[in-house]
Formats: sequence, structure tokens, C-alpha cells
Amino acid sequence: MNWRSMKFLLSSTFCVSLAMTASRAHAAPTSSPVLQAEVSDTATLPPIGPHWFIPSASEETYQIYDIDKGKVLGTIPATMLANIVIAPDKKNFYVAETIWSRSDHGTRQDLLQVYDAKTLSLTKEIELPPRALAVFAAQDFAVSSDNKWGFIFNMSPATSVSLVDLKAGKVAQTVDIPGCALVYPWKTGGFSRLCGNGSLTNVAFDGGSPTVTHTKPFFDSNNDPVFEQAIVDQKTGQAIFISYTGKVYTTVLGPDPKISAPWSLQEAAGLPAVGTGVQELAWRPGGQQPFAWNAAKGELFVLMHPGNHWSHKTEGSQGWVFNVAEKKLLRRIDLPQPASGIAASPDNDALLYATGHRDGPITVINSSTGDVIKTIPARVGAMSIAPGL
Amino acid sequence: MTASLFDRLGEKAARYLASHASRRGVLGKVGTALAIAPAFPLLPVSRAEAEEKPVSASLTDFERKAQTKDPDKCDYWRHCAIDGVLCGCCGGGVHTCPPGTEPSPVSWIGTCRNPADGLSYVIAYRDCCGRATCNAPADCDCNTADREMPIYKPQTSNDIIWCFGTKSTTYHCSTSAIIGKAS
Repeated sequence: MNWRSMKFLLSSTFCVSLAMTASRAHAAPTSSPVLQAEVSDTATLPPIGPHWFIPSASEETYQIYDIDKGKVLGTIPATMLANIVIAPDKKNFYVAETIWSRSDHGTRQDLLQVYDAKTLSLTKEIELPPRALAVFAAQDFAVSSDNKWGFIFNMSPATSVSLVDLKAGKVAQTVDIPGCALVYPWKTGGFSRLCGNGSLTNVAFDGGSPTVTHTKPFFDSNNDPVFEQAIVDQKTGQAIFISYTGKVYTTVLGPDPKISAPWSLQEAAGLPAVGTGVQELAWRPGGQQPFAWNAAKGELFVLMHPGNHWSHKTEGSQGWVFNVAEKKLLRRIDLPQPASGIAASPDNDALLYATGHRDGPITVINSSTGDVIKTIPARVGAMSIAPGL
Repeated sequence: MTASLFDRLGEKAARYLASHASRRGVLGKVGTALAIAPAFPLLPVSRAEAEEKPVSASLTDFERKAQTKDPDKCDYWRHCAIDGVLCGCCGGGVHTCPPGTEPSPVSWIGTCRNPADGLSYVIAYRDCCGRATCNAPADCDCNTADREMPIYKPQTSNDIIWCFGTKSTTYHCSTSAIIGKAS
């Protein structure tokens, strides 16, 4: 017998004798009932709370976290090619997904999947035309605030949008809009799209024939494009588009959106405005999900890093907090580690959730003080959703 | 620089990543044109761009550090606009697909500066498709963002999954084939 086997035998003998001793010690005097056989059951979810946070994990799922408890409550299947939306009435999660019948080959299926928000049961699957496939492109999918319509960006490679009747469970029609991509939902009655010439195309739709209008180009799409990860507050229809150099354009989306003159994130912070120099080191916005919004206070959160132009995918070392109405920097928060994604809780004292590129923890930050409240061990990535109020 | 978005990617494909800024093509039409005419009727566009703004005027960090010796590293000069796993790390090469996969007939393009001769070349980032993603070491998983654009400029966006025109649309790895001199 070698030493390892002997060690195992010794420790096993010790455990058995310890268990017997314990059993003798407790058998006689106790009056507590004998543990009963258990029935296996399945958990359900409480109503969606303001401190829920739903980040992507391992590019295969989104994990539902209760941040106050620091625990996973459940799992929504959704790959890095999927888009996920919380239904406006918070009764469902919608997942636009693409799968192949034989894993890496076979029949391609594009689906809008509906999960019950209490049981996470898959209650409906709506067949779709081929979606646009891109890595974690959250703005490929939106749901109208009345919960009647899903808007899904298609690319085949010609570009269009599927208008999905969520109640009937089918695609009602498809609108071809060449030259434009993504979907930014209005407060009611339609959505807008960003176009390659630096303009918005606006699609008024409420079940009948869509009416399409166009704005004039408002940003320099060749040299200083706006990030696709714009903020849209669906309660008001306000949209915030932010360019690679940190120019902020605000508007209320609709058939004829008036777009504000841009202001600069850096100038709001008392720094010089930033240009497009490839050797122009400055604080710049960046990351996979670089922006978050708190509607209760009208605060915008931006991941910022020092870098040159074209460093727009670089993780942020600071989170900058802005009051958008006042075009004012409120504070700069040093992040304990670089973050590629940021999200915010919707309540009055917003929690910020900072996450890395992949397989990392969740850093929970008090947005008012910048203090790290806690770090939740996790294996999550940059992309996430957080519920509205 | 962040790590690649495409680690363990289940699928991806043709992404365009062109060079200097002023591409003006209409999104859908460009995509369709590329799908129909694989490769290189677009070349004049790239040439025009290169002429508009000489690459030597101001070099990016990538261009300053680019090397010419090892194509299986992310800083190899041709990978100035790549996003994915290098096929040279997966049994293929800089313009060769690994066994069991096929090159996408559609490719996105970039313009990269060769430090050896100071000239810019049009590069076709042809992906190899039809098998699950190659799990190469992290050093082979690249994501360079020079002149990378959002999805509404698809010809220059490296997040788009685009494997149209292959038997299976599954992404395996990426190559960087020279098409010709850009200027």
C-alpha cells in the first residue's frame, strides 16, 4: 500500500468512527423528528424587482441575479447571437434567437421565444425571417411599449425589419429599409433606425401600413460615428446618441425627431473637446456596453478610458455620471477593475453594475457616492439588461 | 485592447472592415453587391479611399507596432482589421482554410499598411466556415478596432456575423488574404 492509499484508508476510518460517535451521542436524548423524505419540485420567480440584474454568461445564457441577495434566481437561454428584452408588463422575457438543427450545420431556425417571467416556461416560439446576426447587438430587437409589437432587424444581407404581432404569434409584415440598421423604439407608435449616412429613418407603425420618414444627417458617420448602443427611455421616447469622440446628441424619437446640437462629454467634465486623432490621447467612451441610464434622476453613466480614436472597444477604467438635461458631469467614479459593460438600477439611488468582458464578477457601485457596495462572484460578461421601474 | 468578442464564437462570418473612413455605400446595397460579386469589384472604392487620406499621414498604434514575421500573431500587419481566430493557428494558413471547412465567398475588406515596404494593401478577411469555432490559444484570437464602425456601416463593422454563401454558416476561423496594392 502506498502512502496515498494509506492516507485515504486512515481518513475514511476516521470519518466513519466520527460519524458513529456522533450518531451515538445524538440518538438517545433528542426529541426532534426524524427527517422526512423529500419531494422534488421546481422553484418559481417572484415579481421582477428593481434590483434585478440580468447579464450574459459564457455566451450561452443570461443569468437572473437578485443583487440585494447576491444570488442567481434563474437562467434564460440566450446565446451571444440572441437579443433579450423584458416585456413592458414584466410578465415575459422575449428572446430573439437563431439556432441550427444540427449544431454547426443543418436547417437554420430564427425564432422569437417567449418565456414566462414567473416560471421561465417557454410558452411560445414565433418563426422569423433570417435575423441580422452580430455579436451581442442588443439594438437588433425592441418591443413596443404597449407590448403588441416586436421589431426585429434582419440582414440577408439586404436589410429590413420584421414587425412581429406578439399576440397573434406571427410576423405581420417586413419593412425593407436599405441603408439603415438596428431598431430604437419610440414612446408609442413606431421605431427609428440609424443609417449609414449619419441620419435616422423613422418608421411610424401601429398595425397598418408603415410610414417612413428620414432626418437629415446629423453626425459624421465616416469619421465620428455614434455608438450603436444608444440609450432609449421608452417611457418618454428620449434617445441619447453618443459618438466615438464623446459628442452627445439627444432627441425625442418619433416621425419627425428634432435632434439637439451636440455637447461634449469631456467639455462637460471641464476638459477640452476630443477629436479624431489616431494619436490624440484623451478620455474617451468605450466598451461593449458603454452606457447606462437611470430614468428616476435623468442620469447617464458612461464607461471612459484614456485612448486614441478607434479605441471605442476598450474597457473603461472610470464611470462618468452626467445629468443629461443640464449637460453636466456630476462625478467620476474610479472602477476597481476595468469594465466592458455597465448597467444601472431604475430606482432613485441607482446601483451601478460593472462587468468585464467575460467570465467575471459583478461589481455593485453606489452611483451617488461611487463606493463599491459589494462584488458578487459570477461568471458573466459585458452585456446585460436591467428592468425599468 | 480588449480580448476578442469572438472567443468561442458559435458562428460568424463575413465582416467588412475597410480602411479609411469615407465609405459611402448604402448598407443593403453594398451587402448585396458583395454577396453577388465575391470580392473585388469594390476595389476601386478602397483605392479611392486610400488616395483620399494617405495612411502614412498618421499611423495608428496598430500600424506603429505591426510586424511582418509571424502571421499567427494578432500584430501581424495584415491583421490590422481582423476580428476572430487566426486560421494559421487552426491547421490552415493566412489564406488557407483548415481541413473540413470552406472559405466564405463573401468577405469584408480592410486596408493594411505593410511596414516592410510602406505600402498599403487591400486585404480580404475571408472566413472559413462549416465547423464549430476553432479553439486556438488566446494569442490567436484577435480583435483590432482601427477604423471599425457600428453595424449601420456594415462594410466596416467587425461585429456582424456574415457567412452567407457557404454550405453551413458556422464560423470556424479567419484569414487575411492579399487582394492587391491599395495605392
